Amino acid sequence: MYNENGVKQDTFGTDDTTKPEQPEIDDFTPRYLDAARLTFTRSEVETARLEIQDEACYLRVVVRRLMPLSNPDGYISLAADEDTEIGILVNPSELAPESLKILREELDKRYFTPTIQKIHRVKEQFGIHEWEVETERGRITFSVRGLNQNIKQVPPARLFVTDVRGNRYDIPDYRELDAQSYQQIQRHL
Amino acid sequence: MATAETPRGTLDALPDSLKQTLQSLNIPLGQIRFAVQSDISSSGSYGEEWFVLTDAAIFTVTGEGEVLHYIPYKSVLSIYAEVVVDAGLLVLETEAGTVDLIRYSNGCAAKFGFVARFIGDEIEFRDGKRDEAPIWDYKSEEHSCKSCGLLLPDEFSPCPACSKKHKVMLRILSYIRPYRGRAILYTIFLIVGTLITLVPPYFSRILVDDILRLNEITNAAPEASGTRLGEIFRAIQPATVALSVAVGSLLVVYIIREIFTIFQQRLGAWLTFRIAANIRAHVYQHLHNLSIRFFDKRTTGTVISHITEDSERLQDFMLEGLSFLSVQLLLFFGIGSVLFLMNWRLACFILIPIPLIVLGAGWFWKKVRSLWHRAYRRRSKLFDVVNDSVSGIRVVRAFGQQRDEVNRFGNANIDARDYETHAEMIWATYYPPLMFAVQLGTLIVWYVGGLDVIAGPMSLGTLFAFHAYLAMFYQPLRYVSPLINWASRSMTAAERLFEVIDSQPEQLDDGSLKAMPNITGEVKFHNMTFGYESHKPVLKDINLHVQPGEMIGLVGHSGAGKSTLINLICRFYTPDSGRLEIDGEDIKQIDLKDLRRQIGVVLQDPYLFSGSIAENIAYAHPDAAMVDIIAAAKAANAHEFIVKFPDGYDTEVGERGGSLSGGERQRISIARAILHNPRILILDEATSSVDVETEKKIQQAIDRLVQNRTTFAIAHRLSTLRNADRLFVIEKGKGVECGSHEELMAQKGIYYKLVETQREAANVRAQAQAVER
Repeated sequence: MYNENGVKQDTFGTDDTTKPEQPEIDDFTPRYLDAARLTFTRSEVETARLEIQDEACYLRVVVRRLMPLSNPDGYISLAADEDTEIGILVNPSELAPESLKILREELDKRYFTPTIQKIHRVKEQFGIHEWEVETERGRITFSVRGLNQNIKQVPPARLFVTDVRGNRYDIPDYRELDAQSYQQIQRHL
Repeated sequence: MATAETPRGTLDALPDSLKQTLQSLNIPLGQIRFAVQSDISSSGSYGEEWFVLTDAAIFTVTGEGEVLHYIPYKSVLSIYAEVVVDAGLLVLETEAGTVDLIRYSNGCAAKFGFVARFIGDEIEFRDGKRDEAPIWDYKSEEHSCKSCGLLLPDEFSPCPACSKKHKVMLRILSYIRPYRGRAILYTIFLIVGTLITLVPPYFSRILVDDILRLNEITNAAPEASGTRLGEIFRAIQPATVALSVAVGSLLVVYIIREIFTIFQQRLGAWLTFRIAANIRAHVYQHLHNLSIRFFDKRTTGTVISHITEDSERLQDFMLEGLSFLSVQLLLFFGIGSVLFLMNWRLACFILIPIPLIVLGAGWFWKKVRSLWHRAYRRRSKLFDVVNDSVSGIRVVRAFGQQRDEVNRFGNANIDARDYETHAEMIWATYYPPLMFAVQLGTLIVWYVGGLDVIAGPMSLGTLFAFHAYLAMFYQPLRYVSPLINWASRSMTAAERLFEVIDSQPEQLDDGSLKAMPNITGEVKFHNMTFGYESHKPVLKDINLHVQPGEMIGLVGHSGAGKSTLINLICRFYTPDSGRLEIDGEDIKQIDLKDLRRQIGVVLQDPYLFSGSIAENIAYAHPDAAMVDIIAAAKAANAHEFIVKFPDGYDTEVGERGGSLSGGERQRISIARAILHNPRILILDEATSSVDVETEKKIQQAIDRLVQNRTTFAIAHRLSTLRNADRLFVIEKGKGVECGSHEELMAQKGIYYKLVETQREAANVRAQAQAVER
């Protein structure tokens, strides 16, 4: 089940030891990538391909946020596979629009956590709270057991709600919800 | 691939509309092996998407019937379920490249995980990397109630919808059965005591009307109380004697009532604590029969609170709440009837404020409860801050962060202050209006009753009595809401207690269990796969045959699955698929008592119970002779340090053996294992946290211990495994190498690399030490 082939990468030129403009890299200095040299494209099988100009091309790049909560749009780690980091992209908005779009799609694929925009209603029965909410991914109804254990607050007002099936929902700032939703939260917090 | 006998699983039933779509694509339904529904569309919004496996291909189709992927099965090289943040992704490696096939939320992770494992195994079988075709053994990890379908947290939990609150109450009452006689007596005391409470206001009526004759003094109509008792008192002359008799009778009534109260409450306490203790004992006893999985799904805190807090909450309610509730109920209806008997017209008036009181009180309690709860949470956060910085006081000082810590406390403190103030102020604002609603009734009685007294149809005494009853009548109404809450919380606590009692025990003795009093120690794993959650296998297709008396060193990176393997041998868990046999018998079928008696463990951080050293060594055999304990301690190299303690073998070790060093505790736990004399011995990092000198001592002790026992040893320092007959190397849950040290070194595989890395590290250390000298 594991990807035993490890890194799949095409290297430019026949001699893959020549890496122009690339100073010798050790294992303990973080590498920051220059947005101007990065291009994201879609491969024939729709995976995100990353090309670092004059250096290498990665067929299925793994994107990860270093600060998914406090800075979801900056500090993106790009990796060739789960274990091999290529480098860190501090400010993705410097990418070309097409590349940025693909990066965003990949981030969206890796970070599913829906954001609750509106709470239609919370109904309690037998200690299970049924939530009906609006998220950016659509309307959904889910059940939460034991609100104390399953609502985690990140100061000052961010909430993470975990439902019985293990799905997590994000409320970035409950104080900024509309009055009705805020009331529902207040009632159960 | 042999399509004829390929298993056709049942996962999700394909809707008719999609069946038609597939048929229109010339895919006969008979070719569909199984279909799985996802809850996220490829665009990332909620929606329906389907994964379909046919004999020849893998499809993904949207809920509307649009085919997204069509991949010939034979071009698939491998498949895996990738875990991303709060969702999953099924990924295919094909000849054309890697394909992100379908997305799904965590709720579907279990079934897609199973699909990936199943298809992965089938591909390996197809490619000849596996000698057995996989078996379709999908088990849903969602547990729902068999009668109503409600989703349950795990297979152990009873359904809250089907276990009705009144059933819980009946169940609590069933614990009363042994004390039936006293319970009946208690109820009698309760009822009689309450009835006596109704007497004093009645007397006040006679006092006013028949003895003091206030009506005559005020020259109003000489209205008597009209009661038979009143007539008797009227007959007594002079009035002072009548007064003494009346007050004397009242005194007697009060005394009798208090006597009844004393007996009732004493009996209540006696009953309550017995019932609570019995429930507690029942829960605790059952707790020790439960599977380790039960404890995995709950934190230690939750389990402890089951036994302490929940039973305490239940007990408090039964002790105070239940009797309060029944007394108030009796009073309410008792007084209600008396009032109507005395003057039904006036009684109707006092009903007016009742809806106001009940609704107002309900709203009020709900409001203040949530406020208090919030204030309470701020307060506990405050204590967390204190706890945090006091526990880490050395770090705070070392980094000079005192001021920041004080600020942090200050902020939490102000937060707590504000919430508490708010809660108290809300209370202060709304409690008086609530009281006012109660007063309203009194005002009505004064006015309406007063009119009656002036006009003559009602005596002054009746009005007095009415007032006295009224206070008692409204009293319970104010507490209806908190009482209901209290009751419901206690019932929930009781439910949680019964949940433990109702949970399935670790092993059910249905008569098919094998008694195995003498195990030889042969252990065999056959294609065994296991995961704590079955869609995330930690161990995969483990095959290993261990002869009795053999010592196996388990080697691998941390997280490879070594400790999991040991958990399975101890039968804390059972394999998901494949077999684990001991002496040729499936471990699931062996009587646990027999199995555990013959397995011994020495862990990295041995747990010593509070008690003496001797008691700890003899933990599994409390009646062991002193000579055997000493022999075990001697063999474990523990005797030498035990004799140096002033209290010798009687030395008390605190919780987690606080007064002993790591090496000492370790040797005591080895002595414990030696005395236990197991057939199968497990050493989990037994020498990892001690200095070199102590390690030598422990190693010696272990060498003595492993003699003639089947031993599984985990050690990060590979040198400690030098005595092992064979080494079993686990990499990412798979057994990858097996053989003696020399054989594996010659193979130059993973083991070789591990040994080389450790040798290098040791060299660096040695060099550093040489430089220091």
